[in-house]
Amino acid sequence: MSAALVLRYLLRKSLGWLLMIVVATNLTYFIANFFLDPRANYLQLRPPRTPEQISRSLAQYNLSRDTPLLDRWWHWISGIVLHWNWGYSPVGESVNSQISFRIGVSAQLVMGSLILSTLIGISLAVYTAARQYRFADRFSQGVSIVTLNTPVVVASLAVVLLAIAFNQSVGSTVLFVAGAQSPTVSGFWPLLLDRVRHLILPTVSLTVISYAGTHLLQRSLLLDNINSDYVRLARAKGLTRQHAIRRHALRTSLIPVAITVAFAIPALFTGAVITETIFAWQGMGQYFIQTIGKNDIHGAVAVAAFGALMTAIGAILADIAVVALDPRVRVS
Amino acid sequence: MTTNLPPLQHTVSPVDSTPSHPISPAEERVARRGERLSRRRLYTRRFLRNRGAVAGLVILTLLVVFALAGPLFTSYSYTDVDFTSLTAAPSSQHWFGTNGVGNDTFAQTAHGLQRSLIIGVVVSLLTTLLAAFVGAVAAYLGGTAEKAILGVVHFLLVVPSFLLLGLISQKAGGDWKVLILVLVAIGWTYGARVVYSLCTSLREREYVQAARFMGVGSLRIVLRHLVPNIGSLLIVSFTLGVVTTVQMETALSFIGFGVKQPDVSLGSLLGDGASTITSAPWLFYFPATMLTLLTVSMALIGDGLRDALDPMSHSAGRA
Repeated sequence: MSAALVLRYLLRKSLGWLLMIVVATNLTYFIANFFLDPRANYLQLRPPRTPEQISRSLAQYNLSRDTPLLDRWWHWISGIVLHWNWGYSPVGESVNSQISFRIGVSAQLVMGSLILSTLIGISLAVYTAARQYRFADRFSQGVSIVTLNTPVVVASLAVVLLAIAFNQSVGSTVLFVAGAQSPTVSGFWPLLLDRVRHLILPTVSLTVISYAGTHLLQRSLLLDNINSDYVRLARAKGLTRQHAIRRHALRTSLIPVAITVAFAIPALFTGAVITETIFAWQGMGQYFIQTIGKNDIHGAVAVAAFGALMTAIGAILADIAVVALDPRVRVS
Repeated sequence: MTTNLPPLQHTVSPVDSTPSHPISPAEERVARRGERLSRRRLYTRRFLRNRGAVAGLVILTLLVVFALAGPLFTSYSYTDVDFTSLTAAPSSQHWFGTNGVGNDTFAQTAHGLQRSLIIGVVVSLLTTLLAAFVGAVAAYLGGTAEKAILGVVHFLLVVPSFLLLGLISQKAGGDWKVLILVLVAIGWTYGARVVYSLCTSLREREYVQAARFMGVGSLRIVLRHLVPNIGSLLIVSFTLGVVTTVQMETALSFIGFGVKQPDVSLGSLLGDGASTITSAPWLFYFPATMLTLLTVSMALIGDGLRDALDPMSHSAGRA
């Protein structure tokens, strides 16, 4: 199959997704306008403001209820299309600067745990599928069922408790339980070390809850394939059992796993809401809570658009994974 | 999948009631051993053989008993405040300790478990039913209806549901009944997509075609022929849906968008306990244990049901 065909196929898919994202984002704008009222932010201020003062303050950020909703929407959408300006919060912070800073923070967290949990899940599955119903298989399956169904909150807080106990037993703060970095560290290597020490705990807690899904799925798919004809043929040709499993059985059974992992990317970003809250990371998930709590309409809509974009990227990655892994797929 | 199963109530091959010659009880037993089991007994036997599933069932039963009977064993209700013991460790007076305001954690945990259970079961039940109905209707009707329903489903899959959940339940002010409605309104889409894919093959089956040509109405075909045939899938997805819902509710309540004061759920209890996790760890331990037991036991039951109901499954052994 030629590369041009694949490209055209992906382009067509991307256009469809882009349309979906645009519609979803605009819909969220109206929903957010319905549910969030930025005027509430000004009501607690002392001295109390008059409704006119509040409206004037909000008008400069395109949030005043006195302007008709459609006018505000037009202002907002043309700002995005023409200047890539996603608007301001009720107190005047630019959404753009918030998002661009937070995407990096979230990506560190999510990508690390995504890669780790996929690698751990698949290798555990290969290891246990070759030893079906032996102790190692039974044991790791039991552990995976428990961790898969442990709520994020419980897993993260348990990791915090363990880390605190570890820090106390060592006698110094080796692993930080809050924040993405210390403000006082400078220099490349100290900074890197500092980042890693902050990153370990949230990554561990995200990995613990997400590796098991990959493990269990990959294990059952591998077991379906391990006794199939082409794996037996590979053995008959003289490959070792391990080699036959890894080279032949694994490749076909990787496809559904790759799809699941790709689609898990957006879920990971929302799943990270809890993790970021507990570990005090200023990421997208925490921004999401903050925007809703502070009636930040433009921020909330930007988070929604980001989520939709992640879903689309996940779906397209899933398509690419299928094409790359499955030699039988013909792009139509 | 399990799409070609007859309905669950169906029993197979009743014993011939008028034997030609009198048989001894021993012979009868042998004959019965060869008899095919009723489906329900078959499923029960296969379910009970799964040790994890039985353990899950036992744990879940104990949790339900605790949620219902727990409040009877303490003189405090979940809203009562004991000013003489604030943030007190577990004692004979307060079995699970108290929080910073003086609420009894035992009473709160029992009530929170009750709340989480109700939300989980009701949401999962409604979601499953709605998904089954919408998915089957879309597959059966085809044409414009199919396109429209699928369009809505795919669109709702893109809309960040967690954000909508947060927006709406924040506005609702922590009423658990509103939370149920919102969770259902957002949760049915994925299930509907799965049911739709399964029903697209079912709608071509002979008995569905036969019913259609006999003049049976669309609604009746969907309810009597399509939905019962994916019954086993629905039962399993109901059980696993409880796990998902409880996790979702916990997450929402934890960040303060779900159940709110004065009502408590396990999620909001964990939210309170998180800030004092080193100074008052019992506020974390007890709700967290209940919550994990609940989700893990439900998942074990769901896996057991899937193995018991799926004829292709080998993990349940021979039956």
